[in-house]
Amino acid sequence: MNAGIDEAKLATATPEKKEFWRWQENTWYDETKNWKDAKIITCGIDVGSVSSQAVLVCDGELYGYNSMRTGNNSPDSAKNALQGIMDKIGMKLEDINYVVGTGYGRVNVPFAHKAITEIACHARGANYMGGNQVRTILDMGGQDCKAIHCDEKGKVTNFLMNDKCAAGTGRGMEVISDLMQIPIAELGPRSFDVETEPEAVSSICVVFAKSEALGLLKAGYTKNMVIAAYCQAMAERVVSLLERIGVEEGFFITGGIAKNPGVVKRIERLLGIKQVDTKIDSQIAGALGAALFGYTLMQKQATKA
Amino acid sequence: MNDGLFDQFKEWYEKRHDYARDWKARTGGQVVATMCTYTPEELLIAAGMLPVRVLGAHEPQNVTEPHIFGMFCPFCRDSLAQGLLGRFDYAEGVTLTQSCIQYRQAYSSWRQNVPTVQWDYYVAMPNDVQSPHSRKAHYAEIQQFRVFLQTLTGKTLTDDMLRDALAVMDENRRLLRELFDYRKADEPKVTGVEALYASITAQFIDKREHNEVLRKVLAALPARKVTRPTGARFMTIGSENDDVSFMAMVESVGATIVIDDQCSGTRYFWNASKNDDDVIKAIAERYCDRPACPTKDYPAHTRFDHVLNLAKEYKVQAAVFLQQKFCDPHEGDYPDLKRHLEANGIPTLFLEFDITNPIGPFRIRIEAMLETLSEEELF
Repeated sequence: MNAGIDEAKLATATPEKKEFWRWQENTWYDETKNWKDAKIITCGIDVGSVSSQAVLVCDGELYGYNSMRTGNNSPDSAKNALQGIMDKIGMKLEDINYVVGTGYGRVNVPFAHKAITEIACHARGANYMGGNQVRTILDMGGQDCKAIHCDEKGKVTNFLMNDKCAAGTGRGMEVISDLMQIPIAELGPRSFDVETEPEAVSSICVVFAKSEALGLLKAGYTKNMVIAAYCQAMAERVVSLLERIGVEEGFFITGGIAKNPGVVKRIERLLGIKQVDTKIDSQIAGALGAALFGYTLMQKQATKA
Repeated sequence: MNDGLFDQFKEWYEKRHDYARDWKARTGGQVVATMCTYTPEELLIAAGMLPVRVLGAHEPQNVTEPHIFGMFCPFCRDSLAQGLLGRFDYAEGVTLTQSCIQYRQAYSSWRQNVPTVQWDYYVAMPNDVQSPHSRKAHYAEIQQFRVFLQTLTGKTLTDDMLRDALAVMDENRRLLRELFDYRKADEPKVTGVEALYASITAQFIDKREHNEVLRKVLAALPARKVTRPTGARFMTIGSENDDVSFMAMVESVGATIVIDDQCSGTRYFWNASKNDDDVIKAIAERYCDRPACPTKDYPAHTRFDHVLNLAKEYKVQAAVFLQQKFCDPHEGDYPDLKRHLEANGIPTLFLEFDITNPIGPFRIRIEAMLETLSEEELF
């Protein structure tokens, strides 16, 4: 009937259930530099619906970051994200010259000097990560999805967001990961491990994901085919958003789903263009942009003084 | 600006059903639920009635599905819900003047299923108002409505009575224009929320009382101190909008809504009637000549230049489309109107409105729009 899935297990929650959706929280800093040498240290904090990031920028260059799951309140998520990186490098809050909050919790970052929307911050972050060639940004976040146009400086010229429904966003991918009982990081690679590419699922509603997946498994899909069908549906959904705004060369993807090649490669296939590569974690784009804005604001303050 | 200058309008808006009940008790007149701002209210006023525009309540509801489709616009569904829920139980009559087909079906369901309705009347106004034949047809429709009201009340609606009612309506239109003129200033003395309270209440408050309060406000405005930053100057475009919390949110994050092209705002009152010995003609033509709703704006799209002129006159920096979900007439206009505005240097933002709106996600879009207008300090 189907390959490799225990339907009873799928349909009912198991007591010792592993959290397959849990993506890797991580902290990084540039060990070749010492933050104490920096003249200006700025911080961007992106409190998103699913993940929170704190990014430190020293004299306009990325120095370190911490990315973790958003807790049940924005101020704590902001504090925890920043504490995670400060503890690693022996920094204190007073060592930071300027803090910019962004993300849906941007106005609830207690120590922020300014709040800027994630739309502006993702464009600025993408400009740093992908260079000044970046013109179209797709931010695939936890609960929403944004298509952004920017100029060579990373200044937003136009943008669109998905309407209300969270289908086709990071949270949807987490639900599928749990349903399929496959760690979220494996979803992308496994979506290509299919003999023939299946049609996209007809509904990518997060709420109905379970019945949709069960239906496909009953119809003889393997787990990998179900994942492939979801990745394809997600790609089609965001491409339709992108097409409303138009895609220019210099295409860049930010947000957690940028780490899922199953979605990214299908988006590239549908658009017929490749995304600009970067070695920097795509999930920190918003916080990075916020920290870079902080740096510019500090420089302007210094000039005025 | 917390000087209470617009409190009467706010109170009327919030307690509009109480007002109508009280009006009825003190005047003994009939209340008529009106659908669509093309309704020739002059005739109802001349007949001693209170026209009360049906507005939604912006609350989730589950009563309209058996009557009209879920893919009818939220304003139609919310309006019908108010009737079905008995919120207009004080209204003897219900009228619709033809605009869009979804609204027509909402009206049909209302008159069939709201038990307190004692009479109904449909004014079959032609949509092709640009045709001379339609203008003649509309003249005949207004005349027929007059005959209907005379039969209903058993009283003659004389030309003089109609002229008096028309004068009251025109005075209301003139006063609202005067009020809106204050929004042209670099530091407007009237916010978008205040302007909305003033224009929307004109649609259900006795016009004579409304005029009195408008006069008081206009007398006080020259001395009013502006105590808030203007920020970016926004325009709103769409069909009906009385989502005050949305407007307040926009004006709390660094913008002022300085003008609109909506039937809850300027489209309702923008033009007065033209002098004519034939009062029926004066009334009928006023509605044919008013700033057009997309349902009545063909073959020429007169609306596009009208909207652009408003934007220029009020020094608009960005226009926000408040698109009622599934509203076909407005959605049909949107792509070309957006292009028209943007080609003339006015950026636009599209928001899809429903019975209830997600203020948080809308706030992100509004703030991002503001940042695109004034991001220079960040680069």
